[in-house]
Amino acid sequence: MIKPPFYAALALLAPLTAATAQQKNPLAPLPAQTSALTQNNYGSIIRIEAATQVPDYREPWKAGRFSGGIGTGFLIGHNRFLTNAHVVSNARRLLITVHGSPRKHPAKIVHIAHDCDLALLEVENFMPFLGLTPLQIGNVPKLESQVRVIGYPVGGNRISVTRGVVSRIDFNTYSHSRSDQHLVVQIDAAINPGNSGGPVLQNGKVAGVAFQGLRSADNTGYMIPTPVVKRFLKDIEDGHYDQYVDLGINSFPMFNPAMRKKFGLDQNSPGVLVASVTPDGPCDGVLKNNDILTAINGNAVDAAGNILIDGEKVNMNEIVERKFSGDSIQLNIIRAGKPLSVSCTLKPFPPSRMYAAQYGVKPRFTTFAGLVLQPLDRNLYAAHSFTNTRVRRLFTHYVDEAIFKHRKDIVILTRVLADPVNTHVSGHVGTAVKSINGEKVTSLEQAHALLHPKDTPEFFIIQCEGIERPIVIPGDQAAEASQRTQTNYGISTPSHLDQ
Amino acid sequence: MKFLTFIITLFAVASCCDKKSCTINKDASADDSTVVFHPPRSVQTSVVRINSTLQTWSAAQPWDKSAPKKRRALGALLSDNRVLTTAEMATNVTYIELENADSTRRIPAKVIAIDYEANLALLEPDNGDTQGFFKGLKPLTLGSPAKIGDEVSVWQLEENGMPLVTRATIQGVDIVSSFAQGHYFLTYEVKGSMQSSTSSFTLPVIRNNQLLGLLTSYSAKDQIIDVMAPEIIAAFLADTADKKYEGFPSLGIAISSTVDPNFRTWLKLSDDVGGLYVTRIRKNSAAEKAGIEKGDVIIQIDNKDIGRRGYYSDANYGKLFWSHLIRGTHKVGDSINLTVLRNGDEKKITATLARPGKRLIASHTFDQAPRYLVKGGFIFQELTATYLKAFGKDWESKAPLNLLDVISSPEDYEEGRNKLVFLSATIPTPATTGYERLRNFIVNKVNGQPIADIPSLIKAFQAAGPDGLHTIEFAHGPPKTIFLDATASDLVDTELINRGIPELSRD
Repeated sequence: MIKPPFYAALALLAPLTAATAQQKNPLAPLPAQTSALTQNNYGSIIRIEAATQVPDYREPWKAGRFSGGIGTGFLIGHNRFLTNAHVVSNARRLLITVHGSPRKHPAKIVHIAHDCDLALLEVENFMPFLGLTPLQIGNVPKLESQVRVIGYPVGGNRISVTRGVVSRIDFNTYSHSRSDQHLVVQIDAAINPGNSGGPVLQNGKVAGVAFQGLRSADNTGYMIPTPVVKRFLKDIEDGHYDQYVDLGINSFPMFNPAMRKKFGLDQNSPGVLVASVTPDGPCDGVLKNNDILTAINGNAVDAAGNILIDGEKVNMNEIVERKFSGDSIQLNIIRAGKPLSVSCTLKPFPPSRMYAAQYGVKPRFTTFAGLVLQPLDRNLYAAHSFTNTRVRRLFTHYVDEAIFKHRKDIVILTRVLADPVNTHVSGHVGTAVKSINGEKVTSLEQAHALLHPKDTPEFFIIQCEGIERPIVIPGDQAAEASQRTQTNYGISTPSHLDQ
Repeated sequence: MKFLTFIITLFAVASCCDKKSCTINKDASADDSTVVFHPPRSVQTSVVRINSTLQTWSAAQPWDKSAPKKRRALGALLSDNRVLTTAEMATNVTYIELENADSTRRIPAKVIAIDYEANLALLEPDNGDTQGFFKGLKPLTLGSPAKIGDEVSVWQLEENGMPLVTRATIQGVDIVSSFAQGHYFLTYEVKGSMQSSTSSFTLPVIRNNQLLGLLTSYSAKDQIIDVMAPEIIAAFLADTADKKYEGFPSLGIAISSTVDPNFRTWLKLSDDVGGLYVTRIRKNSAAEKAGIEKGDVIIQIDNKDIGRRGYYSDANYGKLFWSHLIRGTHKVGDSINLTVLRNGDEKKITATLARPGKRLIASHTFDQAPRYLVKGGFIFQELTATYLKAFGKDWESKAPLNLLDVISSPEDYEEGRNKLVFLSATIPTPATTGYERLRNFIVNKVNGQPIADIPSLIKAFQAAGPDGLHTIEFAHGPPKTIFLDATASDLVDTELINRGIPELSRD
């Protein structure tokens, strides 16, 4: 039996809605003066209550699910509260409570960065908070040093403090967006639902933001370290969050002796193989397959693709991680045996958002004669778990095979709402729409336009990928069928096309 | 309690009948549907036990065989000491033997003909005391087709050799795929309540003292026994007569129903015709050679009207699926007449039926050891459905996506290939340092030569570049191209043999 590759399941520390039936052990009272934190500092660690509305990607015309959760945040400046993006994602109402006070203060999101799971909030009226001391952002804590996690996790209503040591500093996945990797610090203090967004403190300064845990392991909490936090705060200085930038290359370690010989590298020469370059990415036209990348901004890149920063070996992406859109990166390469120096200008790469979970947006869709069409993205994929090989392939290779260049959206037929006009359509659900009346489908808007033309054709012929037998809807019955399915299935809005 | 009495009664019936008279024993049981009503002696003299030891090949390490499995069944004894059973009993067998009803005699057997698609196999004794083994045994003759409603009996044997006969009723007929996936043949669906007993993997089914068919499956939940129909067995036996087994014919099309009224209007089909919409034509198939086109609507086969769902009216069975007209009533080389509608115009087409052509990914690879090459630690194989199915029950979602894509769209990969060669795994060796994680990559070229199959791969590896390196190019990657030291990989190959890999390649 072949074993499929093993992926460690990263579990999101989602704030829990209601307090579950938990065993409550009476806790010993905190010694009054042992902590470096004063009452005032506890005050700057706030409890966030979010009422959310989560869109329904299975029936996108519906209002979605109303729910909510609890998270933690902390004051970092005048009317600036930092928390996790996942604490406030899809929020319709946000309330902030200060330690020891029953008052709930309405708040709103100023900036939200889903790719690094951070958000900045402000309250409508900052007056009641004026006496509080904002927390200072510190540095990356050393391995094995002690940290404290403070927040409002499940198991009670009042503030909670846990203690642990830094057990690992690594590049890891941020599970909120499901597609981004940044620096992560692992600690062995308990981080539980509700701790999300709370500060991890060392020497009275913020060493990170508690944000996720690992369900399959004990005592592994993860925090967002301060370089990521600082980058977020710098990015929003211009009043707009621009997202992370990426080189857009795949590298392959140069460990194999034959490989090294082929590229003329001796045993100690630096360099990693450029194995693929993302089409239209920042390095498209700058780097080529089979270039050897030897240095990035003057830092030598080793055979594994690592560089040395502050005495620590880190992934070469760490250089790019701290850069912003529009910044330039200097790359030293060996191409066909000749050393070259090239530079690329970093920029965000919108097609890669195909793989990032979206929050706070209304799902796009259109309906036609009972057929429901939706564009493929991570949210849709999660809601429908597609099994069709073609659809899975289009999703997986959307970026690396440059499918995005000619198909802005991969339009999926996600549902057929039974109606006399479509009752015999079967086997098409869960496939990608290839063409409508002979025209290749390239976006949801275009598909919608093709299905709602000025002059009604005799037939609407809809071809799905991998299925030869087309869906045929007689033109003169289409409008009536659309109307009928909307009424029968309670579809209040027949389409939502805007991003 | 009641169940227990019933079993005891049945034994009594059997032993009493064994002596002589064989009418229904009225004392036996109130529920006479389970009463023995055939001469039990013929059960013991016309069936033989078949004991098979089966071994498949390991998907991950293609030089290894997996742990042996045993299967025991009852075969139907035919004339000339031949024994009929299902292909499932005779596929991937390491050893197969015949055993008589009371287990006093055994003889090794060999497979003389096998059809994986129709799930049939014919066995013959292989060495040993043939005369002694078959002494006193009486072959069965193959019966004629039955009708829905006919009573049949399924023969089993107890461990001690006593017959166990279940009476059952044919409830319907259908076209069923019982072994090789995607090959459908005429099958009776028979209602009856079976019990577990020894040697029951497959069983002969009898009607009027003649062999009607073989049991291919039994659903305890529905109490439905699937029985291979005699027409299919007759065609199989006729094919085996000339020692050169050809197999069942195929037309080579994929179809879709024309039930949808909108689809029918678009196809310009009138209400009085049925029709099958042709969605795919296999390369080099009978259909392609006859000029059938994608989008044609087949309305008649051999002058029989084909309905909207693909059923025609069979004189004996009633509604039957169209494919029986191709695979169940003809042999390879026969001509069939088709009436198709193309853009609304009727066309008559004559097709000469043939065996399905070679495919990039065969529908099955039974009895075929996987072809592979081990080079410096890289394991290259030819992609088969068997390989993908080794990923488990959910293989269609668990197997690597790029390989699944080959199965679902083979036409995208066919050019220049007989088979699809891919890197299935990498054994960590000094030659594959840094490549340990590479797997499931489709191979395009090695040392500049396009790779069509394992033999061409072996040949390509014989000519390393002037720099002493092999160049391996993959279809996707990344990386798309990697290099392997020729000298180092040859050394590794020798070492791998020392470590117990019996052969570095199989072609």
